[in-house]
Amino acid sequence: MAVPASVKTALRVAQVLESIVSRCLGPDGRQVLCTKPTGEVLLSRDGGRLLAALRLEHPIARMIVACVSSHLKQTGDGAKTFIIFLCHLLRGLHAITGKEKDSLSIGTMQTLERHWKDSCQWKFISQALLTFQTQILDYTMDHCLSKHFLSIFSPSAKDKTLCGGSLELLLGAYFCGRVGRNNHKFISQLMCDYFFKCMTYESGVELFELVDDCFVELNVGVTGLPVSDSRIVDGLVLHRDFSVYCPAEGDIRMVIVKEIIQPLFSTSRSEFMLNSEAQFQTSQFWIIEKTKAIMTQLHSQNVKLLLSSVKQPDLVIYYARLSGISVVECLSSEEISLIWRIIGLTPCELPQTSSQCEISNTALVKFCKPLILRSKRYVHLGLISTCTFIPHSIVLCGPVLGLVEQHESALHGALKMLRQLYIDLDLNYVIQASDQNGRSNPLTYKNSQKSNQLPEISNDSILRSHQNIVKSKDVCENLVVSDVELEANIPCSIPEVAPRDTFQTNKAQRCLSPEKNKIMDDSELLANSTDKSTTENTRIEISYENLQVTEIPRKGNLLPLRSKSLDICYHSSSVPAGCVLPVGGSFEILLHYYLLNYAKKCQQSEETIVITLIANALLSIPQTLYKSKKGNNSFPQIYLSSVHALQTHQPMVNSQVGLESVTGKYQLLTSVLQCLAKILTIDLIISVRRPPQKNCDQDSEDEL
Amino acid sequence: MALNGAEIDDLSWEPPTEAETKVLQARRERQDRISRLMGDYLLRGYRMLGETCADCGTILLQDKQRKIYCVACQELDSDVDKDNPALNAQAALSQAREHQLASATELPLSSRPTPQPPVPRPEHCEGAAAGLKAAQGPPPPAAPPNADVVSCTQEALLQKLTWASNELSCSTSLETSIQLCGLIRACADALGSLKQLQH
Repeated sequence: MAVPASVKTALRVAQVLESIVSRCLGPDGRQVLCTKPTGEVLLSRDGGRLLAALRLEHPIARMIVACVSSHLKQTGDGAKTFIIFLCHLLRGLHAITGKEKDSLSIGTMQTLERHWKDSCQWKFISQALLTFQTQILDYTMDHCLSKHFLSIFSPSAKDKTLCGGSLELLLGAYFCGRVGRNNHKFISQLMCDYFFKCMTYESGVELFELVDDCFVELNVGVTGLPVSDSRIVDGLVLHRDFSVYCPAEGDIRMVIVKEIIQPLFSTSRSEFMLNSEAQFQTSQFWIIEKTKAIMTQLHSQNVKLLLSSVKQPDLVIYYARLSGISVVECLSSEEISLIWRIIGLTPCELPQTSSQCEISNTALVKFCKPLILRSKRYVHLGLISTCTFIPHSIVLCGPVLGLVEQHESALHGALKMLRQLYIDLDLNYVIQASDQNGRSNPLTYKNSQKSNQLPEISNDSILRSHQNIVKSKDVCENLVVSDVELEANIPCSIPEVAPRDTFQTNKAQRCLSPEKNKIMDDSELLANSTDKSTTENTRIEISYENLQVTEIPRKGNLLPLRSKSLDICYHSSSVPAGCVLPVGGSFEILLHYYLLNYAKKCQQSEETIVITLIANALLSIPQTLYKSKKGNNSFPQIYLSSVHALQTHQPMVNSQVGLESVTGKYQLLTSVLQCLAKILTIDLIISVRRPPQKNCDQDSEDEL
Repeated sequence: MALNGAEIDDLSWEPPTEAETKVLQARRERQDRISRLMGDYLLRGYRMLGETCADCGTILLQDKQRKIYCVACQELDSDVDKDNPALNAQAALSQAREHQLASATELPLSSRPTPQPPVPRPEHCEGAAAGLKAAQGPPPPAAPPNADVVSCTQEALLQKLTWASNELSCSTSLETSIQLCGLIRACADALGSLKQLQH
């Protein structure tokens, strides 16, 4: 049968990849030595790097590695976990079909009817996999797992202030699974210091976006020095050297140009006619005078630094030196756009017509001097920032280029991970229930809230004020319940309750912290479409006073849209930014436990199959993490103690120190499920002898 | 589930017996070994091709000299050959014992058999597993082996030996010759053990 054949092939491939990456997973993972066909040797623990270094011509292998790369580009974390999880899912799937196909009972030829039954079963399983996310995963995350989440932000401050200790734990856990054992503490400390130097009080996700986008320009790699020589320098380090350097004191103004300063006579589409030597001499003289005038003009405006994206002619350099202007040429467009993002300076247009005009677009810089790193000279620029980013650059040192590159990509990955952490994770799920009506729905919501006992965490560096959050939830619920009670008496207007509900919770959030909370798009649309009365507004104001300053951690919007034929409730909620969990498989064990609980209540058997499959595959990750541990720290012990704690509603005890981002884990899970769904849709594999192309779509090799 | 036929068949599905579990376990271990070997080769710079081996279905590798390499066939022993009595003395012994048991009236209660190298495939499962069980249980009655069985086996071995020598004389490939020599050696060993059985 075609479909299980692809699962079988994918399983073989995934097992091979798993055997490679499982050796380097986690803090106890070892380095893997990979020899490239060119003879170069790669020594790394970074999953993405290792997978990219393998020579894979098998179409499914390439597809899996492509999925991993695109996942890494987005989230910066989880390549090894991806492969291990995918492998166990495939193994589970294979075992499900193996029960019937590979049966050891002798005889029973596959009849046509049985073949058809198997195909149908596959269709149901793949459909169930696709709907798993919307129907089950998001619901479980929202209702069951959310009470275990910790926050990386200090609750005492009004804004999202990053808690230093939590950031260290988060980055420490990230790097210890990626960078070599002798360097990871140093690198994670370097990154923490970098953030605390760059951040201001108003910094939010924009800071991470800027640093992530421009990370290549913000770091300098130096080979030949020990890793411990890496440091953070204030200001921006440009990857060019001065063409002319004139040390300057006092105010330094800077100008960026994108074209050569020297005027040209001959431009495109025009012809410059010279009839005699004298004309030529005159024209040359004119050019020289013009250039001199422009440079004098710059000097008079106190411009002491000229940044140019093109190579300036010698004449310009000469006059710059005479005027005491430092010149840096051939800057990349990325550096220029970074400077624009930091200080808002755009390249200026030089006056062509009159040399008396003021040259606009100058900016003040704090200092500008050469920076010598090993044997190369760079330009060290001190910028006065106008955005929430205080510019600092990282100087990364390493004995060889390979190590520097590895550290750089590890830092970049950490940035992506933090960037994702700062974004709220939207959860949308569907509940099909015939017993939910407009009245009881929010009540059940309230009840489920109250029954969530938020565990006390003894770790001091992770701060979270449970009481405040519970209080705010209660008030919110009262708000919601009172509205619905009012409306319940008017049954015909029940469908209208929903948008108003949404609008009110929306409004409340807006009142709280207008610039911080993200309002979801669908609720905005609903809000715009309905008319609001003034009575509702007064209610909102009252509730605002009660709500204090703390944010509502769960911006749950209930949209009990009742359709006549099916009772489907669309819920959308979100996991707020900054949610983390302790490392060491907590997320996996928690999700496993709650999924199995859900499966017990499930009626449809293919849903149960899929849930059990995913729940069991989830355990493979902590299993691999604790593979080398024995005794009290071995996986069975950890698993049993966690499950026991969950069953008795006690806080889970974790022996590992470190945090991991919930958003990252969720995104990893969904990426793996998507990759699996892709594999299941493969009917035929045709392999083509062609070198892998990094940018183009590799799925053309698979016949669908 | 959508179709009712599934439920009926599910009811008739029984959990695998101990022998079957052993087979499954052995197969899984073999697969793990193959994956590990392939992973090692990939890290050494080999290339994973898009084709599978015709004999065993494992994914093929290609080294830097563009030579195609199948990990299972060329490194691990095939798990089919293990119970071909013509190729393996152990399998021949097991087969001899199976025949013994078939004629014997009582089956001794077996203790857990020790994990030996890969247990034979399902087609040979019943007999081989029974044979192994018998081997680990209390020692079989010290009755002389059935002369007919032994002579049958000897005949079969001699036949195989003649066939192998014929093949060897007309084979041109190095690999085949090596395998045929191995076969001849195994036949000779089997004949030797059979002679010991007789005495």
